[in-house]
Amino acid sequence: MRAKVTVLIVMLVGLHGVLLLAGFFAPYDPAAQNRELSYAPPTRLHFKDALEFHLRPFVYASAVVMEGDQRGSYQEGRSREYQVRLFVTGASYKLLGVHESTTHLFGVSEPARIFLFGTDAYGRDEFSRVLFGGQISVAAGIVATVITLFAGSVVGIIAGYYGGWVDELLMGVNELFLSLPWLYFLLGVRAFLPLHLSTLRTFFLLTGVIGLIGWARPARLVRGVVLSSRNRSYVLAGRGFGATDFYLSRRHILPEVFGLLLTQAALLVPRYIAAEVTLSFFGLGVNEPVASWGNMLSTLQQYSVLVSYGWLLAPACALVVTSVLYSSLAELFHSRLKSS
Amino acid sequence: MNYILRRLLRAMLLLVGVSALCFLFTEMAPGSFFDEMRLNPQISPETIAALRSSYGLDQPLAVRYARWVNAALRADLGYSIAYNAPVAPLLWSRAKNTLLLTTCALAITWLISVPLGVWAASRRGGLVDRAVTLASSFVISVPELVIAVGLLALVVRWRILPVGGMMSADSDALSMLAKLKDVARHLALPAFILILCETSIIVRHVRASVLEVLGATYVQAARGLGMSQSRLLFRHVLPVAANPAISLLGFSLAGLLSGSLIVEVVCGWPGLGPLILEATLSRDLYLVIGGIMFSALFMIGGNFVADMMLIVVDPRIRKEGVDAR
Amino acid sequence: MKLIRLALHVCLFSGLCFAAAPAPEAAKPGEELARLADVSGRYGGHLTIGQRSEPKTLNPVTATDAVSREVIGRLMGDLIEINRASQLTEPALAKSWNISADGRTFTLQLRKGVRFSDGYPFDADDVIFSFNVYMDAAVDSPQRDLLIIDGKPIAVTKLDQYTVRFVLPRPYAAAERLFDGLAILPKHLLEKPYHEGHFAQAWPLNVSAAEIAGLGPFRLKQYVPGQRVVLERNPYYWKVDRENQRLPYLDELVFLFVGTEDAQVMRFEAGETDIVSRLSSENYNLLAHEQSRTGSQLADMGPGLEYNFLLFNLNDLGGKKLDEVAVKQAWFRDLKFRQAINVAVDRQSIVRLVYGSRGAALWGNVGPGNKLWVNQALPHPSQSVETARQLLKSAGYSWNATGQLHDSTGRPVEFSIITSSSNSQRMKMATLLQDDLSRLGMQVHVVPLEFRAMIDRVFQSFDYDAAIMGLGGGDADPNPEMNVWTFNGTSHLWHMGETQPTTGWERELDQLMQQQMVTLDYAKRKQFYDRAQQLIADNLPFIFLGTPNILAGANSRVGNFHPAVLDPYTLWNADELYVRGPLMENAGVR
Repeated sequence: MRAKVTVLIVMLVGLHGVLLLAGFFAPYDPAAQNRELSYAPPTRLHFKDALEFHLRPFVYASAVVMEGDQRGSYQEGRSREYQVRLFVTGASYKLLGVHESTTHLFGVSEPARIFLFGTDAYGRDEFSRVLFGGQISVAAGIVATVITLFAGSVVGIIAGYYGGWVDELLMGVNELFLSLPWLYFLLGVRAFLPLHLSTLRTFFLLTGVIGLIGWARPARLVRGVVLSSRNRSYVLAGRGFGATDFYLSRRHILPEVFGLLLTQAALLVPRYIAAEVTLSFFGLGVNEPVASWGNMLSTLQQYSVLVSYGWLLAPACALVVTSVLYSSLAELFHSRLKSS
Repeated sequence: MNYILRRLLRAMLLLVGVSALCFLFTEMAPGSFFDEMRLNPQISPETIAALRSSYGLDQPLAVRYARWVNAALRADLGYSIAYNAPVAPLLWSRAKNTLLLTTCALAITWLISVPLGVWAASRRGGLVDRAVTLASSFVISVPELVIAVGLLALVVRWRILPVGGMMSADSDALSMLAKLKDVARHLALPAFILILCETSIIVRHVRASVLEVLGATYVQAARGLGMSQSRLLFRHVLPVAANPAISLLGFSLAGLLSGSLIVEVVCGWPGLGPLILEATLSRDLYLVIGGIMFSALFMIGGNFVADMMLIVVDPRIRKEGVDAR
Repeated sequence: MKLIRLALHVCLFSGLCFAAAPAPEAAKPGEELARLADVSGRYGGHLTIGQRSEPKTLNPVTATDAVSREVIGRLMGDLIEINRASQLTEPALAKSWNISADGRTFTLQLRKGVRFSDGYPFDADDVIFSFNVYMDAAVDSPQRDLLIIDGKPIAVTKLDQYTVRFVLPRPYAAAERLFDGLAILPKHLLEKPYHEGHFAQAWPLNVSAAEIAGLGPFRLKQYVPGQRVVLERNPYYWKVDRENQRLPYLDELVFLFVGTEDAQVMRFEAGETDIVSRLSSENYNLLAHEQSRTGSQLADMGPGLEYNFLLFNLNDLGGKKLDEVAVKQAWFRDLKFRQAINVAVDRQSIVRLVYGSRGAALWGNVGPGNKLWVNQALPHPSQSVETARQLLKSAGYSWNATGQLHDSTGRPVEFSIITSSSNSQRMKMATLLQDDLSRLGMQVHVVPLEFRAMIDRVFQSFDYDAAIMGLGGGDADPNPEMNVWTFNGTSHLWHMGETQPTTGWERELDQLMQQQMVTLDYAKRKQFYDRAQQLIADNLPFIFLGTPNILAGANSRVGNFHPAVLDPYTLWNADELYVRGPLMENAGVR
């Protein structure tokens, strides 16, 4: 059990560390286009050439082979090997938004390229984009989840705890929020905003919009549980002893809904990261050339992309990994909470 | 009785609120149905203006809303601009197909996810539990749209099922039985996608709430007293653990009309989803508002059923009743 | 027991519904049929076409969306048609016509003995009725504007039962092309709704097959809401093939509503639909990859007529609170600024990355696909960042230490490009452009907007800096372009609602466009239009980017598949299409 916890924590720290220091771990500038290398498949790492086995991996430079007047597939030029080197100098970036640096963890010398996850339509390195995109997306997903769950549980607890007309009113508003045509709302919101939104503003907008729309479901779930727990004997007894509503809800009711909230959190984080796909359709997403998992995922909706360029699933895989880690964390939290 | 009355009042207010906000939102959104015509250089602005006024779109918001409410009270939801036809029959012809898809998916989803969630929780940390958790994390993390397109691509490759639609073009010629089979084959993929996505959410909740109750002191005490696992589970744990699941069931019922939008669009299912999405994007106002009102009715119904069930199933709520205070 | 009887009833009933398609009628004496001397095929079978959305109406007068028109076009006939392959006009319901020397009077001889798809005879009264409907202000037909020239309607008179005269208020070049797309309506069916004042509601999708008739190759058989429209052979159709067999060959034409472009491709790939058009290059390549297995016929028809361009907001913003945009307009109005952008654009990359090499770069509004009208003399300067920088420098722009471009007042050059988020090709162009312009030190933001929200900004609110859009695609003739290039045109996008041309070149452009419209001689018109293209390319109200090739595909079973670069790309010769190989009665069900 202890080992498992350690592994989990190491992995979580690792994930966030890599995302936070994306500039260092990413070999390229995420916005740099290589128009000759669009939709290049992941670069193969070689250890063995015609002669011998190397401990240090190397790559070959790839180029498109033309088939008539049409683009054919990529092929490696085997004439020269390019070793993968550590701590190379490349495109400049700002570490943690402050420290200017040009050192990257790994890289190869030009003209060869190392695209661990291949490239997108513009020949941008998908690996670098996954790392940089994760910075925005994971943060937005978590913040949005916190907002919705906080708002949802406040409303849910009040409605469930007081019941009666308070419940009726809050759940009426709740149903109103659940049935409104949000797509129209998004269109309207977009019209009132300035045309260009900086990435920071987009971040607040994403989390704000999701929070506004998202609180309704968790609120209903929480209210159901609170409805049931407020009639427990110890709550009733506490009330008899003159405990305040706030004390009761914090002391006895909140723990009851905590498990529910954790489950919801594990479900909502990936949902909200992917929600940017819809929002970007309405011009509310993170704009090119800045990477986010949401705008990367939106290209996957195209059948031809999904079928022909499988490596572009990379952001989805990253999302799966993140989500599994977070739900394990939620699980761990929950069992700790129960046993204490 | 008092409670039912209160609920009815709330439902009425809700419908008024939803419709009013619908009008407000549609007013706020830029663009109009006739914008596409602006791109056609052969249509003059005067023609577009004349068309707008013939649909009453040049009237102020309040006037349009008053007219709409007046008509809606007589079960007339207005006219679709695109189809040049009344909204209500248009919606109903699609709603039937959506309901066919979603009720099938809903039934199977709940039949799968409740036992699976309970099973996973009762053998916590076991193989089933881990598999369920991992699989559901996976499904939750990949957007529904990508799952749908991906599965559709597989079907195209493997040629096991029809690639979309609800029946074959020549199904009129088939016998009743063959017709049913035909629809079932078309239904399989969209239903599967819906079931997959919904199950992954519900199973997690069922599992978590069963675990919650299993950890409670009185259950541990009962176990200590030697009560059998199955008796414990069915007599004491499940009724209490049902709580969030019932709220979720309410959502499922509420989403019978609106919850399958993406799947319907991707799979070409002739339901409400594609109709409403297209109407939204083309600003076919009354069609959108009609669709929203339809879904709001289901929302009210679904939540009402869920609240009733909460009272009936949960022993602690039942004890006092929702009306106690 | 009751249930069994019900089931039996349903089976019987549906059996009746599936009665075989009507056999083509034998030719009647005196019936003047149009013979297509180079067309042959064989009768039978059906073809299925996947449509992106559901048609909205079957009313040819009020329909505006492409999907509805695709279906309606198969149901209806026109007086004069544009042959999509040759791009020239051809006699249709009018077997011949002559034009008076002043180019204002058209006298059309109608085909005798022609019948509507319900067997009712067609004559000049139907033509007069149709044009009355189109030109009636109360009907609000979108086609009405075509028929009102200089504010005056075209005068239509019946000379005898089979002769009709059209008098135009002034000479109008290529006026016979106007007749293509103006469906002739059956007076006997539509007179009543017209006189009762609810013409716009006539012929909705769920109209019963008995109440709708036309002069096209097919007629309505069945509509299933949300799913499909089935058309069957019009047994009275007025065209015959080489062997004098009455067309069309197909028993049925089925339109399935599949939802999206991707769904169209998937259904086609799975063999559930037979023809697919307006393919993107990605999807085309996908199908080409599978071609060896499926044996499908894929056609790359070369560049089409659509032109995609970058547009700057040069609108008069007086009265609108758009100070931000107004400041930037100083740059946009500067010709050198636009020229710099024009040479900084990497059009080859657009063709390669956006169109997968199946497209063409554009430097003017007429592309290489329009062979009759393109001005071959227009220069095609290749991309040069250096030239662009020099242009900017000479216009007083400068760069700061970090390479950012500033104008002469020291303002950094920064603007947004809006584009429709549902058009992935234009989104890609914007992203490429953003990168190209960053090399000039310009900071460009790409702002995807939902389609109608974007149109609203371009046409109404003018709250944008620049936009990537596309126009064209209808007819090859310059006349449909009038509204883009004349100063008071409705699609004069860069400066909407002008009361008079603001610059000299705009005045000249306006005159040229007006002149070409009233000139009847092709060579002279071409001269005018060449000069117009030159003016546009010199003054760059739009910065032209590229045009996609017209890509289409058909199942190997489809005979006479001849896609064209004009809309409707694949179904324009639906009457000639036929099914090769065994006739599968249960296609689609496996």
